Amino acid sequence: MRFLLTVYDDERRWASVDEQSMKAEIEAYWALDNEAAAAGVFVDSGGLHPTETARTLRIRDGEESVTDGPFAETKEQLGGYYLLECESMDEALRWAAKIPAARTGSVEVRQLMDYEAAGFPNPAEEAARSA
Amino acid sequence: MKYMLLLFGDENAWADMSEEETAAELAAYGSYGEEATNAGVFVSGEGLQPTATATTMRIVGGERVLTDGPFAETKEQLGGFYVLDCKDLDDALSWAERCPASGNGAIEIRPVIDYEAMGFAESAGSEEAPR
Repeated sequence: MRFLLTVYDDERRWASVDEQSMKAEIEAYWALDNEAAAAGVFVDSGGLHPTETARTLRIRDGEESVTDGPFAETKEQLGGYYLLECESMDEALRWAAKIPAARTGSVEVRQLMDYEAAGFPNPAEEAARSA
Repeated sequence: MKYMLLLFGDENAWADMSEEETAAELAAYGSYGEEATNAGVFVSGEGLQPTATATTMRIVGGERVLTDGPFAETKEQLGGFYVLDCKDLDDALSWAERCPASGNGAIEIRPVIDYEAMGFAESAGSEEAPR
């Protein structure tokens, strides 16, 4: 089963670290990516630009509204994610504990829907698989 | 440039839907994903299990601290995401506009960091990962 690990941390900390510390921190993430890939659990990961670059869009009665900033203002901000293929929530939590931001921020772990198993196969995924 | 579209909506609305309504809603997501795939912008897209299944982890003094539930309680909940490879923010906004979630929830659009462009070589894990 697949899990999404959403990584929350104080984004201002990143803005204030020097280049060496940033390099070391990014390399710690790369090492984790490689470890997860070697263990066969890695699907994808990504870091997000700061929340000030976010836009939030809604459409109501055909009218579109776009606001600057994230959906919710939080003390720690969503800064990245991991998509992992694990056997259980426990295994996903073991990987969450290896994420550097677990020590400075928070990691939310959520299992993904398996629409195919629920009887709703996704044609886009099938197309992507055969591409 | 990659953008993450975070889909927020009232997760109770899904629980209240009939099987036909669920099928119709998922079919709308299916055709949206297909359209994005055909346009060459689709990278990934997943739905999340309800926030009741979420676990949030912090490591404090080397010890795991687990709480049940999502990182933040919000009126609308994170229910899924897309990662799309778009030309620019305007292009990403037009894809967000077409996403079924825009009509009843909110979509946060955030650019994904291109570490390679920043001078940090991508990890082997993310390059070898199956898409």
